[in-house]
Amino acid sequence: MKHVLKIMALLVAISAFWIGLLETSVVPRSYAWLLPIYLIVSLGCYGLLMVGIGLMLFPTCPQEAVLLQKDIAEAKEFLKNKGVDVGSD
Amino acid sequence: MEDNGLGILISAISLSIFSYYTFWVIILPFVDEDHFIHKYFLPREFAILIPVLGGVALLSFLCLFIGVVILKSKYETS
Repeated sequence: MKHVLKIMALLVAISAFWIGLLETSVVPRSYAWLLPIYLIVSLGCYGLLMVGIGLMLFPTCPQEAVLLQKDIAEAKEFLKNKGVDVGSD
Repeated sequence: MEDNGLGILISAISLSIFSYYTFWVIILPFVDEDHFIHKYFLPREFAILIPVLGGVALLSFLCLFIGVVILKSKYETS
């Protein structure tokens, strides 16, 4: 419940700032009207950018992959010797 | 597809969308009407229309998806 109240307080503060910006013409009127949509679009772009950067910097650990394949082969050998059906290869 | 290449593609798309939109909304009103650059940008009403339409489409898709999942689970338990 408290989290929702925090978020709503933040929204009220942002809309008060925006209405204040509209009324006291600090910036030209057309800019003040477009500001919320611009902020939402840039927020979406920022999210996409973070996703892209995370994908770019994702580590693949090639040595670990080789070790894992070796482990899998060992386990398959062991189980086959014990008589378990290890399926296709 | 390679994770690396996909990450680079997504970052490039997001950066280009951001710069195009920033240019459209903020810089273009200061440019004279005769400048050739106006040919590459739609009229400014579309700067509001396209994000709003995209947002409405996204919200309706989400609601549809949630509704389908709920109905499917009810159909399977009944």
